[in-house]
This record gives sequence, structure tokens and C-alpha cells, in this order.
Amino acid sequence: MERVIRAYSSLIKKNLDKPELVKFLIRLGLEVAKLWVDYTGDKYVPESLRYLNSICFKFILEPLREPENSGFVNLLAPTEILHSMDIYPLFIEAYSSFTSGFYCEDILIDKATTEGISDTLCSYHKAFLGALEFSILPRLKFALTSSILCDGNSNTFRYIAKRYEIPYLIIDIPYEYSEESVSYVVSQLKEMISMIEAATQKRFDIDRLREIIRLENESKKYLRLYLEELKSHTMPNSISLEMYKLFVTHPYIGREETSKFFKLLAEDITKYPNSGYRVFWVHIMPYFSYPIQRYLNFNEDFNLIGCDLNFDYLEEMDERRPLEAIARKLILNVNNGSFKRKIDNIKKLIVDLRIDGVIHFCQWGCKQSFGGFMLLKKEIEKMGIPFLAIDGDAVDRRNNPEEQINTRLSAFFELLEQREKRW
Amino acid sequence: MVGYVCKYTPYLVIESFGEKAERIEPEVNNYEIANSLTHSNICSYAKLVLEDIIRREIDKVILTNCCDSIRRLYDILETLSFIRFLHIIDLPRKRDQRGRLLFKNEIIRLINRYEDFSGKGFDRIKFRSLLNSMTSSVERRYKDLNIVLIGSRCKDSLIKSVEESGGSILYNLTCTGSKPQYRPIGLTEDPIEAYANILLDSYPCIRMDDIKERLDIITGEKRIDGVIYHTVKFCDLYSYEYADIKDKINIPLLKVETDYTDTSEGQMRTRIQAFIEALRGRNNREKEFKNAKKKLIVAGIDSGSTSTNVVILDSDRKILGYSILPTGAKSLESAYKALEEALKMAKINIEDLSYIVATGYGRISISFANLEVTEITCHAKGAFFLNREIRTVIDIGGQDSKIIKIDRDGNVIDFVMNDKCSAGTGRFLENMSRVLEIPVERMGEESLDWKEDLEISSMCTVFAESEVISLIAKNKDRRDILHALNKSIVRRIVSFIERIEGESRYMMTGGVAKNIGVVRCLEERLGEKVIVPDEPQIVGALGSALIGLERLEG
Repeated sequence: MERVIRAYSSLIKKNLDKPELVKFLIRLGLEVAKLWVDYTGDKYVPESLRYLNSICFKFILEPLREPENSGFVNLLAPTEILHSMDIYPLFIEAYSSFTSGFYCEDILIDKATTEGISDTLCSYHKAFLGALEFSILPRLKFALTSSILCDGNSNTFRYIAKRYEIPYLIIDIPYEYSEESVSYVVSQLKEMISMIEAATQKRFDIDRLREIIRLENESKKYLRLYLEELKSHTMPNSISLEMYKLFVTHPYIGREETSKFFKLLAEDITKYPNSGYRVFWVHIMPYFSYPIQRYLNFNEDFNLIGCDLNFDYLEEMDERRPLEAIARKLILNVNNGSFKRKIDNIKKLIVDLRIDGVIHFCQWGCKQSFGGFMLLKKEIEKMGIPFLAIDGDAVDRRNNPEEQINTRLSAFFELLEQREKRW
Repeated sequence: MVGYVCKYTPYLVIESFGEKAERIEPEVNNYEIANSLTHSNICSYAKLVLEDIIRREIDKVILTNCCDSIRRLYDILETLSFIRFLHIIDLPRKRDQRGRLLFKNEIIRLINRYEDFSGKGFDRIKFRSLLNSMTSSVERRYKDLNIVLIGSRCKDSLIKSVEESGGSILYNLTCTGSKPQYRPIGLTEDPIEAYANILLDSYPCIRMDDIKERLDIITGEKRIDGVIYHTVKFCDLYSYEYADIKDKINIPLLKVETDYTDTSEGQMRTRIQAFIEALRGRNNREKEFKNAKKKLIVAGIDSGSTSTNVVILDSDRKILGYSILPTGAKSLESAYKALEEALKMAKINIEDLSYIVATGYGRISISFANLEVTEITCHAKGAFFLNREIRTVIDIGGQDSKIIKIDRDGNVIDFVMNDKCSAGTGRFLENMSRVLEIPVERMGEESLDWKEDLEISSMCTVFAESEVISLIAKNKDRRDILHALNKSIVRRIVSFIERIEGESRYMMTGGVAKNIGVVRCLEERLGEKVIVPDEPQIVGALGSALIGLERLEG
């Protein structure tokens, strides 16, 4: 399989001077991958997670199939409004992840840095900007980002918009929650609606948005159920699948497919017993890293219980006032504001989910997360839970020293085994 | 004293309480304490502020949520027990009505917090008069070479380097240079609201949403000779603007990256000086020369980080003697020794020299030289002298790698240089030679016999070393590992060449050019032969001697 992907990768790399052909090849690759997932999926993987894999390919393909009806977004953009208008989001972090799935991230990243983009910038952004520089990205109708989680967003989206001459909006999320900060965000959401209406010639309907929020609440209800069951069950999991969950906990949470997935997930979890050590992951995952796969993919001895990014806002939203509810969700996201919010959320999850060990991934260029990792480490160690930090890159394979990651992980799991189980 | 970092900080509020507010400009040169509290890859400036706050025990600090690194700095400071007052201001990115209201309320929040902390009341009248006492008019003086400095905040040493190289800063648009436009505040006006507006209306930093006016000065001002774009290591935000404008503005542009310490001042000075030399189209400041003789003989000294090289040239451009010596710990001493050796070879005495030109990393220490010129100008000059078809010079020395693009008359058009990082330099090869237990001189030859095409993906010296170690652990053949190393060096060189759109023909100079394996890999990537002079290490010294002769000949 890897040989096929490598051949496909070199075909893309050889044709980067023909952007239309490369756009076609990328879409073709994803279409084939979707068929592969739909028809040959691993039977060992629970049904819900196989369904997740399939809908993620569907979601990433939609804007590639219909660029005239789509916009660029980031992980934490208020996509509910897009879903309510039947507009497809292309979530750039996912696009970059797929480029490394195709072994093309190196050439894209090098292109971006050759053009002057800093090599210490997060590789999710660099790979995406490289694709932009090679003109292999589709020209979508608009670019939309929120300011949460990462400084790179506002600049990356401004850069895309300028290059493709498309409208752009950054939703600036204040640091603290207050009535004024909600109204500041709501006014920006209204601006966003006008921008999208003008760019796509579609009309916004607040009742349709209410339906989306209802679906989102339904998904969250199942997600909370799943969390409850996760306390006493462990389900087969992998680092790729845990990353795929970001699709459904974030940009695609208002979609029907997502609600169906969470329902299946909440059912599936009850079918599995509780086994092995329970490992919790903080921040994103280099899904291609062999040593991490070896330890955490479908391992009954060391179970990957979850990743904090998938549990950053679980509250029910007020569908009667959907714009205010979205504003509230954005401002109160645990990754917005003080780092203490994130620490408290992780501490709570550790207790709720009876976690035995925590691994923090320091993503190359991600200042907001690794800037606070020592604070998190101290707090988690105070709880008597072993903590491991790994430096690496979830997009650029070249920034992952495999041997070092392997040694650290081995030592960490040896350490876990030597201890009595915490809970 | 209350310390702050961001130019949008409403520090006059604090001063109206009778407290001194000071913008933190760290003078420390290492991150020893900071690295134990956070990750080493957060913005260098933020790390130094943390280091400085702890070392100076600054117990009152105001930050803004301006970027990810400063936000995390706030979170870390919150855990330090000696800090008595810590406040973060929510700075809106938007300057519309709601953004302004939010910011005004943030100023009020700061006032309330400081009242609680100090036990003093806020004096509105005093604040108004303080605001009215602020002036912001700056007189602009046009000089010979007018430079605009833009990008991330910078230290005074950068400005000093520009000035000492003969440039003058017409506009400093970085956060440390641009000042808000103060205006008189009337008695009926709310001074807090007015202050919020004054701050938000100041020259926007890259973080703000609407940044259209950022480049107005560069595109509108006619008398700008050059633009220096400064970025801080691990602060990536400004690189977008640099990438955006680099091919669009018709003014020479230099990108300089610093880590906000003084440890890389030498490299920074070289770049700035070379840039200004290129702007001038002639060489930099001339010292009075006292040794004029009828028969012109000049010496060029290239004081590099690894070797010191000297070339002695007569007026017929004939090389009378040369030398290559290790630089060692004292660059001045090595320069004397290398000069002596070259003089011996040329069979002349120091008194026979009419002029001495120094170049290279240690050029400023060579006090007996008449002129100092950067190695960028010198390598271009030397390479072009050796072969007039050369358009791109690839100089890979002990600690620096430089790619220099030259025009058909041998003038520097553009250049690019590595940062502090030693990836792909001579130092990198020296490290690897130790790991692989092979003398540096034999690395090239041995690598030519490679069989298996291995990959070393990382360009970082540290990561690459660990990759080499794991290849050794896998029992891979040394020849194949060496070949993989050469490819990794060449990848870096080629990305530099692409950055300045280097053109054929290529000449490689510097110590690494002696590694035949690197040269062959480079030729393979470029698809053409790369010219390597017989003695690639003396090209810089040769260039500096040629500049000396040109000086004497007028």
C-alpha cells in the first residue's frame, strides 16, 4: 500500500508545474481513498469509527468537488452558519494533514519557506501555504477564521484571501467572557453572514441555523453519553481515528452525519470491556509516527482514551438565540483565554476518565500549546499522574526524530507498568 | 516600576498614579531560567522578557493578549510568587465601534485593578493633563541613504548597526519605533475614550485585522533607498508580510532575523553592511591610507569563523602569495600570522603593502586594515574575477552559508544567508565527521562510492545527528550515510538558491567546496557543472584584495 501512495506522491511532485492536473490528482486520491475506506475497511475497527473514517473523506471531498459552493475555514471557525446555508467548509488543517498522508508535505513546506514564510511556523500552515504558492488549492468563495487557538490563522487566511482575491473575515474572539464580548462577537458573526451571502448569492435563514444548533446539541448529548461510558469501557482506537474525531467535534458538528456518528459511538462503547492502562493525549497527533502507532493503535494494554482537543466545549447551546450561543461557545472554548482553563479541563478529564498517564505533544511551531506545557506538567504531576512531553510535527515527517520518540515512549510505558494502576 | 511590553499598553494610566512605567527591553543574553519554565521554541523575545522579569524581580507587569507567546508568558508569570501585580489587557483586533468600546472598557478595568492594588484613586484631571503633555511629532531628516526599518520589534543594536554602516533610519515602523499620534484632549472629552482611540489608531502591528496602512509609507515615500525587514526568531507572524511584499516593492529589501540577544550581532552586522554596500554601489567607509607606494601591492584578509585566509595581489592582479590558517580563539592574532605567512610566500615585507582590506566574520577586529568590507561583496568580487560567467556564488564556510547573486558586471544583486543555525555549514560536517569517525578531508571522496540511496530528512544539525546515529545503529554503510548527508546539505543550498532565484553559472567557494561529494550532489540537483576554484577558501580574501586595488587606482 505504501508503495502505491509513494508512487502517487511522486506523480504529484513531478507535476507541480501543472496545478490543474495536481488538483485533479489530489481529488482523485481522496475519492479512491474514500472508496477504499467504504469497501475494504478494517473489520476490527468498531462500526462507528469506520463510519467516522468514511464521513471525514466525504467532508474533505465536498469543497473539492464543489469549490463554487465552499469556503476556507480553520478548526475553530463558526461553521454552523455555513452548514445552515449548505455551504461546504474546507478546513485547512485537514487539508495539510492529507498532504502528509500523500507524502507531499515536504515539497509544499519547502516552497512556503522559500517564498519567505518562517520555517518555525506551524507546519499545518506552512504545508497549506505551500499548496497555495503552487496554486494547487481550489479557489473557494471566501476565507473565514476565528482567532482562537493559534496566531497563524489570521495571517494565513489574510494571505490566502489576498492571493486568491476572495473576501476574508477573521472573527476576533475576546479573551474573557462578558456581555460586551458576546456582542462584539455577534456583530462579527452578522458581518460574516453578509460576507457569505454576498460571496455565494445564498440567503441566510436563522431558523435553519436553529436546526443546525439542535443537531449540534444532539451530537453533544451523545458525546457526553460516550464520555460517561468511557469511564468504565475502553474501545479500540488509533491515533488517526482520534484525529478524525476533530472533524466531528469541530467544523462538522452541526451535520446530520455527525449526529449519526456520535449516536453509533455511544452505542459501540458499551460493547467493549475495560482493559489496560488508560492514556490521555494532549494536543494533536503525528498519525504517521511509527513508534506512536506501535504503542497506541488498537493496543489493549495501553489504551488511547482520548485527546483534549475533542473535549474543549461540551455545553448545550441555546437554539433560541443561535448567534449568541455560537459567540458564547467561541469565547468559552477552553483553548481561549488563560491557559488555566485548558489545565482545569484536562485535570477534570483525567479524574472523570480515570487516566493513568498523559502524553503532551509539542507540535512544531505551536507556541500557544507548548508555551504552557511546563505549567500543565507541574499540575498533572501534582495529581500523581505520569506526564510525558514529546517534540515533533504532525505534518512534516522530517521534524520527528523517530528514535528519540521511540525511546521516550518506551521509557514512559515501562514506567506506567512499574506503577500500580492509579484508579 | 511597572513593566510592560506591547506598544498598545495604556501605560499613561499607570504613570497618572505616580508610578513609573517601563517598556521591558531585555539586556540578558541567555534563556537559562526561561527554558526551565517553558518550551525553548516560544518567541525569543517573550523568553527574554521572562528571564529579565525574574532576574530583575520586576514585581508589577502589564501584558496584552497580543500573541500566543505573550499569552503563555502571562500564564507562567501568574505562577511566580514574587509578582505582586499582573494584568493582561484584551486588545481587540478590530478597530470598529465595538472594538473601541471593548478597549475603552479594558482601560477602565486596568484603572480599577490598579486602584485596588495601590490603594490610590485614579485622578482624571491629572491623567488628562498627562495625555495632553505627550507629543508625537518627529522631524524627518533625509540623508544619503534613507532606510525604512519594519517588521518585529528590534533592539537598539540593530539600529546602531545600520547607522554605523552608513545608513540612516528614516522610519522605524517596528513596535519599538512607531509612536501613537497624540492630540490635545478637550475638557469635555472623555480622556479614557480618547486614549483608547489614540492607541488603537496608531500604526497597526501585524496582529491587527486591518493592516492596509502598514505599507503606505513604503509605497508612498519617494526617497527610500532600502527597506530592512526584521523578524524575531520563533515569532512567525511578520514572515507573512515579508513573503507578500518581497517581490512587490521596487525598493531593495533585506530580511534580518535576530533572537533578540546580542550573541549574533556579528552576523547581523555583516548582512546590514553588505546590504548598505550594495545600496551604495561602492564600498563602505574608507580609512585614511598612509601606506601609498608607487608599486601597488595589496593584501586581502578574510577572517572567517574557522579559517583566516590571506591573498597578496600586485597591480597586475597577480597573486604573489596566499595563506590559509585556522582562526583559533583570537582573530587578530590569527590575522597577523596568516598575513606573515602570505608575505613570506610573496617574499615581501609588510612595509611593501600599500593597502590592506579586511573581510569575514572577524573583520572588525583587524585594526591594522585600511578598509573593512563584508565577505558578501568580496566573494562576489573574487568569484567574478576568476570567471566572468558566474552569476551565482555559493559560499559555504565554517559557520555561515551564503548564496550571492551577481549581475553581468559582477555587482551583488541579491544574497541570502543562513541564520544562527549551523545546518549545512562546515561546522555541521565537522560534527558529522566526529560521529562517523572520518577526517573531514576524506568525507567527500569516500561518499562518491555510495550504493544505497539513504535519506536524512532533517536539515537541523541536532536532528540530523540523531538520524545519522540511528543509521549507524542500523549498520548502514558509512559511504551511504555520507552521501545522504551531502544530499541534505544540498537540499538546503538549493532552497537558498531558489529563494533568490539564482542563475547559471554557479561557483562554489568556502571550505565545504573542497568536499567533492557535496559538489557532485549539487551538480546533480542543478543539472550543470559547478565551478570550484583551485583554492576555494581564498576567494573572499582575493575579492577583498581586488577591492583594495580598485580603491588605490581610483
